[in-house]
Amino acid sequence: MRVELQDVRPWRHDLGHCLHATMGVLLRAHGADPLQVLGAAWGFGYRSGDLRREEYYVPFGAGSLLGAMAPHHPVSSRWHRPPDPETAWTQIRDAVGDGRAVAAAVDNFHLPFRPAYRDVHTNHLLTVYGFDDERDEVLLADPVPPRFQGAITRDEFAAARFSANPEDHDRDLFFTRNPIDGRWLEITVGPDLPAWDLDHVRTVITANVAALEGDRTLWDGYADDGAGLFGGRRGTARFLDAAAARMRRGDDPEVVDETFVVAGTVLAETGVHADWLAAAGDAFARPELTEAARLVERVAHHWSAVRIIVANARADTAAAAGEVEDRAAVLLTDLDRALDLLARAV
Amino acid sequence: MVNHVSPTLVRSAVGAAHPVAIEDFLDSVGVEPNSRSGLGAFNIWGNAFPAEALPCGTLTELDRVPFRFPPADGVRPDHLRCRGQRIPLPAGRADWIHVLGAAERRTEDDVLLEYADGSARRQWLRLSDFWPQTGPRFGERLAFRTGSMLYPRHEQLTMSPSIWHQRIPVAVSDGLRAIVLPHNPAMHLFALTLVEAAA
Repeated sequence: MRVELQDVRPWRHDLGHCLHATMGVLLRAHGADPLQVLGAAWGFGYRSGDLRREEYYVPFGAGSLLGAMAPHHPVSSRWHRPPDPETAWTQIRDAVGDGRAVAAAVDNFHLPFRPAYRDVHTNHLLTVYGFDDERDEVLLADPVPPRFQGAITRDEFAAARFSANPEDHDRDLFFTRNPIDGRWLEITVGPDLPAWDLDHVRTVITANVAALEGDRTLWDGYADDGAGLFGGRRGTARFLDAAAARMRRGDDPEVVDETFVVAGTVLAETGVHADWLAAAGDAFARPELTEAARLVERVAHHWSAVRIIVANARADTAAAAGEVEDRAAVLLTDLDRALDLLARAV
Repeated sequence: MVNHVSPTLVRSAVGAAHPVAIEDFLDSVGVEPNSRSGLGAFNIWGNAFPAEALPCGTLTELDRVPFRFPPADGVRPDHLRCRGQRIPLPAGRADWIHVLGAAERRTEDDVLLEYADGSARRQWLRLSDFWPQTGPRFGERLAFRTGSMLYPRHEQLTMSPSIWHQRIPVAVSDGLRAIVLPHNPAMHLFALTLVEAAA
């Protein structure tokens, strides 16, 4: 039997990573516009210690990754953790056979089309959209460069899904040491996605601004508690301030990984939201939204800097603490400018 | 996705051009020859450009702008990360500072231009991502796209990273004294050239 689902096309945002790319592919396969769904959210939330060593990590996304990424839409995702490789394959085969493209967690070390093939262990997420029993192949879609859409053998796929993802070299320190465990994920979309109109755009912006200015997380609405739960604008400031303080002490190597990974998620969300605002400004002839898009994009570009400042500070975190503080100051200034403009725009 | 990638770098005619000496400011190895030193790390994962695909150690011309591309032996620094360096500039009129560079994820920051008359003004430096299959975001022109990307233990032929040709406007054309780079190590520069637009 051979199944190859249609409407599986690449989608990627240059400030996102495999999580955004995979969710974009899956949303599109379900008939939804990836930018309209993934780009609506813009907020900040993190609970200290929540970090997981996976490129598809999202704060507060343990229950529903897609739900945490797209809180303004009736969408969700659910992880499956099959008990053994045979069940892991059967479950995915059944889902795809039923017409549902799904996502699978993999270790790039075992995937021939990934640059890390037989070199570096690192976890990754991609879309499964078909299989061929006679050829013993599975069809995968992966828009993360080098873009791939095609077949690999089931043995290769199984190896990638059940890798222990060990840390073999002094390399991808951020996303190793976390067994893949055969996990796979399916998404639910709708019913009744909101219409892409100006009312929806206003509703979304109002909610985003309210959460950021109200020092709350966007997804669950948790209030910043002044301690380990960071939410909204105040949480952004405290998160960066706490990172700089830990870096200055110089005795906390985990601060590099934690700040890098969280900054990566915020960078992605902020960057996609900037494009969402630009798309709204264009679609509804609202130049103030286009201008706000540019300000939000500037905030994203500060997160690009934060991410690399901390990543390069592993050998001497104290030396880079001041850089994080300086960057936080300008990031927050630009964040405030964007919030002011957005509040006026709606 | 909104498409921001169409090049918008409108060229004025190039008059006098002065490549800037940045040798003393190079601090990073991002290019390796095929003999492989293993020290190349343009990004945090140790990826590097293959030297054979770049005009290393030569005066090269892109869109009629000459650039002095640094030598690259995989050991000595061949480019700089922006870390607040103050780089003296040659005397003379200039309308633009042309830049060869790329970023780890696109980013932007202001540079401080110090003028010969003692004034100083900030201008934007915007650099797009070097990552393969990622277009220019800020209207840069493609300077180089290599046919492969180096990983610490192998060469990946399916990955083609980019170096961009960007430019910074000079608001006062009577002469520059120095450029102060931002503290943004995600920004990498290979070469700077002052350009005076032809009358």
